[in-house]
Amino acid sequence: MAEEVRLPGHGLCPGCGGAIAERIIFNTVGKNVILFGGGVCASGGTRLLQVPNYGLHLSGIGLGAVGITRALKVRGRTDIKVISMAGDGAASDIGLAKLSGAAERNENFIQFVMDNEAYMNTGIQRSSQTPWGAWTTTTPMGKKVGQKKNLPMIVALHGVPYVATASIAYPADFVAKIKKALDIEGYRYIHVFCPCPTGWRHDTSKSVEIARLAVLSGMFNLYEVEGGKVRITFKPKEHVPVGDYTKLQGRFGQLKPEDIAAMQSYVDVQWKNMLEIDGKYVY
Amino acid sequence: MGTWKVLDGNHAAAWGARLARAQVLPIYPITPQTEVATTLAEWVESGEMKAEYVTCEGEHSAMGIAGGASAAGARVFTTSASQGIVFMEEHIWIVAGQRLPIVMGIVNRAIANPGSLRSDHNDSLLQRDAGWLQFYCEDAQEVLDTCFQMYRIAEDKSVYLPAIFTWEGYVVGHTAMPVNVPDQEEVDAFLPPYKHERVFLEPERFVFEPVLRSVEESEEGALLMGTEAVFAMYQAQENAKKLAKEVNAEYGKRFGRTYGNGLIETYRAEDAEALILAMGSTVGTARVVVDKMRAEGKRIGVVKLRAFRPFPTEDLRDACMNARAIGIVERNRSPGAPYGGGIVATEVARALYPLKDRPQLIDFFVGLIGADIYTRDVEKIANKTLAAAQTGKAEKDVEWVQRVEKK
Repeated sequence: MAEEVRLPGHGLCPGCGGAIAERIIFNTVGKNVILFGGGVCASGGTRLLQVPNYGLHLSGIGLGAVGITRALKVRGRTDIKVISMAGDGAASDIGLAKLSGAAERNENFIQFVMDNEAYMNTGIQRSSQTPWGAWTTTTPMGKKVGQKKNLPMIVALHGVPYVATASIAYPADFVAKIKKALDIEGYRYIHVFCPCPTGWRHDTSKSVEIARLAVLSGMFNLYEVEGGKVRITFKPKEHVPVGDYTKLQGRFGQLKPEDIAAMQSYVDVQWKNMLEIDGKYVY
Repeated sequence: MGTWKVLDGNHAAAWGARLARAQVLPIYPITPQTEVATTLAEWVESGEMKAEYVTCEGEHSAMGIAGGASAAGARVFTTSASQGIVFMEEHIWIVAGQRLPIVMGIVNRAIANPGSLRSDHNDSLLQRDAGWLQFYCEDAQEVLDTCFQMYRIAEDKSVYLPAIFTWEGYVVGHTAMPVNVPDQEEVDAFLPPYKHERVFLEPERFVFEPVLRSVEESEEGALLMGTEAVFAMYQAQENAKKLAKEVNAEYGKRFGRTYGNGLIETYRAEDAEALILAMGSTVGTARVVVDKMRAEGKRIGVVKLRAFRPFPTEDLRDACMNARAIGIVERNRSPGAPYGGGIVATEVARALYPLKDRPQLIDFFVGLIGADIYTRDVEKIANKTLAAAQTGKAEKDVEWVQRVEKK
């Protein structure tokens, strides 16, 4: 990997998936970059960054990046890359209009969404990225309404040049996607699956394993949408049961066998749909 | 020396942004600001103005984008009103604390509820605590001139605060007058390019700071970081006070126009026993009323409060100290405020408090929620204020000049 862009010793939780994701991102994008971000747990590690960074608050997802790229353009400094980082709460809920606006106008930056499936920075409250059945402090009986919002596809349907999902358990796939995104002009979006031991109630040493199981079970699929064309970038030879994924996490501790079965059906349908659109254009 | 154009306030503001060479324009349209938004968009699209226009999705976005652009070294202009200002409130505070010299034109419009498309001053006055400068313009010419001055003051390294300049929607925004529009070269000589010495986002100039800035590394120091930052903002406002006067004088030399001393202007106030204190277009109406009354031998004058932030405490005290009564044109609401008055009276009272022989203050609610302020309204204000000055006792502390007559 390229030189470390963030100094070690972050103050994030042990086992934080976001911290791992950040390291992968920064080591791939290098130092000729400006970061915009805020309101995500990971902004707690911003002080250690060795690149210029600007932040607003949670609801301002992407906004600073829009301003930065436009300023760089008018100043003739398009050599500098601009990346934006936000959590799932910002992207999927409070800042969705901002996300959509930047995508629709094809603003020139990479938007990373660090998806730990709840508002973790404020103490584990549900977001629209929280999977069905998961415990959070605002869904103490398990999230009963709604599945995980399909945000990557929503963004893709804005007609943006590049959308991808990524996982800390598949770093080569992740790096390849970042590199591809860096070479594309316009709005690029990478949705990163980041396990959160604190909020998901799992062993801090198991973040990568859980991220891997998410993909292997079909709970999180790795694909890209480039110029509108869908490509699944990793197809498990055989999916593992959803129960193998949920049993490692306390947030799924209240699920009964019939709940797991419902999740399994849902995941199976999602995978079937993915296979159907694999290789096809969604716009 | 410039070109004469017939411009309303909105178009004057657009010319201000254009000649100031604003580089990034994140603007969301809202009545009564719309023409500023659309005129600038036309100019950018045609290439007449070299800037990046961001047709963002809302005002909250506009000010967030403004922050990023300013931090990345671009001169930013935006504009909004009323509900739009309130929608961007969060970012208004953030960019001020971030010390980014963004300039925003507020086309004064009442904030709902009750609301209106027309004017009062609540939208700009609401920002008085956020750390922005704010200057009130009387007419379209002043709108244009003030735009340049705002950049000049805001971008000064002794200030580095964002700045608001205001004009009332419709009354100033949509009312045309002959405006002298300076040449680009003249404006360039007055307003150098934007370069922030402390906040910049450039990889090659990045300096890694492993410790928190501005305070020594101690637990107590860390907790007081915010206090230090606020203290610095207060200092910056004080610096802006001084600078505004210098800039006003310089502007006079270069362009032949000054606005009082830059912070306040007095009109026929020298021997006045009564004063009308006003902001914005009502000052113009007050001048007319005062001329009429002076012709009748009445000793009454006008104090124009041009700067509300920084509040021109010392200048206001000096201007008011010999008057016996001051009638304040209160074009805003603050239900539950002391004596049931408004925002301006509260601030003026604080400024005049140390005076041994204080003038009476009468707070006149007028022009609220879009109500027009007529000459007859200002005459009522003037007459009551004069009567208070002469009798030594105002009828009431707070007067509601315009009420619906119940039959």
